[in-house]
Amino acid sequence: MLSKLMNLDRRVIFIFVALAVIIPTLLPLNLPINVSEPTQRIYDYIDALPAGSTIMISFDYGPSSLPELNPMAKAVLRHCFDKDVRVIGMTLYAFAPTLADTLITEVAEEADAVNGEDYVFLGFRPGGEQVMLRMGISIGSVFEKDYTNTPLTEISMMKDITNYDQIDLILDLASGSTTDLWITYVNGKYNQQIAAGVTGVIVSNMYPYLQTKQLVGLMPGYLGASEYEKLIGVPEKGTQGINNASPVHVLILGLVIIGNIVFFIQRRREE
Amino acid sequence: MKRQVPLVLCFLFGVVMCFTQFSPHSFSQSIYDEVVYWALIMSPFALAVGTITLIQTHVIRIRRRTEHWQYSFVVFAGLLTMVAIGLPFGPQHPAFAWLFNNVQVPLDATMFSLLAFLIASAAFRAFRARTFEASLLLISAMIVLIGNVPVGDLIWNTVLSWLPWDNGASEARQWILGNPNLSARRGIILGVSLGVISQAIRLILGIERSYIGGGD
Repeated sequence: MLSKLMNLDRRVIFIFVALAVIIPTLLPLNLPINVSEPTQRIYDYIDALPAGSTIMISFDYGPSSLPELNPMAKAVLRHCFDKDVRVIGMTLYAFAPTLADTLITEVAEEADAVNGEDYVFLGFRPGGEQVMLRMGISIGSVFEKDYTNTPLTEISMMKDITNYDQIDLILDLASGSTTDLWITYVNGKYNQQIAAGVTGVIVSNMYPYLQTKQLVGLMPGYLGASEYEKLIGVPEKGTQGINNASPVHVLILGLVIIGNIVFFIQRRREE
Repeated sequence: MKRQVPLVLCFLFGVVMCFTQFSPHSFSQSIYDEVVYWALIMSPFALAVGTITLIQTHVIRIRRRTEHWQYSFVVFAGLLTMVAIGLPFGPQHPAFAWLFNNVQVPLDATMFSLLAFLIASAAFRAFRARTFEASLLLISAMIVLIGNVPVGDLIWNTVLSWLPWDNGASEARQWILGNPNLSARRGIILGVSLGVISQAIRLILGIERSYIGGGD
């Protein structure tokens, strides 16, 4: 019996995982969400900005991390447009322009935000830290045109924005190491305020920066997205995602506990 | 000559860029601005090199008929289709966006979501409290795992409602991430930073030469 359990066919586990995802998708759980301090800090910072302030959002993720990071982007964009905070979108990730453009356009249409006045999407430039450093001198020298090929000089909201001095916050939505680069090069050199929304797997890497206040705040994966959605009062895909992830987490926890109980029983018998 | 010129350039640019970080003089800053601009211009070439390498790798796979060589044709089909639409019409074109949203996004998301199945299976088989250290890691991981989802607090507040504090699962997760994890990460960051500094000095002084194809 025990050895059977220890050698459980992996396909059985796969079926359990599939059921743990499918059932809550069909029958939503609506679990209560408590907002953590790092997410609250981003919300409070943006909420305290006066109308007409500017936030730069860097969409540094691809389709594989889209389910975790798109809900965050959506929630923050809604909050910004609601507060009349202007948004500059950009990306350092070659896969991101289409998804970022689609998302910004969708939220802007919903909020009646006008391209070029309330928001602008600059698109992608290769170079990572070189792009970051050069934007500290002049954004126009890195992005001469926006994503729709309109020269920056013809975009009304960009007329009074030259470099980081006119930007109140940079929010990096990342699935890789770009947040470290934003902190090292842009916070370190230009003293720019940085916030981050990252995938669950890299959350632990960000905590030293939170403590030193090099990060204004942090949205951790699905949890961060659902927390921000709760703060703006629009529960959507982040909330749905964290509700769907809950049974899988419980399942994995259960599997680890069962695996260890069986392991200890077997070890005791061998002794 | 082939080796001396890169070494001299590396030394010169390394020293000059280092100097610009400590000198606010306009001349020093204009050099900094110019060099950052050069670096920005050079960055797209990395993408070109990456594409060429990808093509070379798959041409070799097809020529040598290595295992699953047929899939290399799929790589070329994908590459050519996106280039054929993206290059003349730009990524804003509806056909490019359609292909991205309906091919790239589901494929990428599918690959990534397979991880959930593999992690569940691996956790069951490999995550064992064999030693004291492994037990600590296991307990921390379990707390973070359950504290990361709202069901953790729900279980805590229901099953452990007699305890004097609420939301213990998320609070415990936050404590682990904000204390032991933070301390360990900071140690790693400091160690890596010192390593980067020493490597930079070795490169500037020409001690480390592997980037020009030589040994130490």
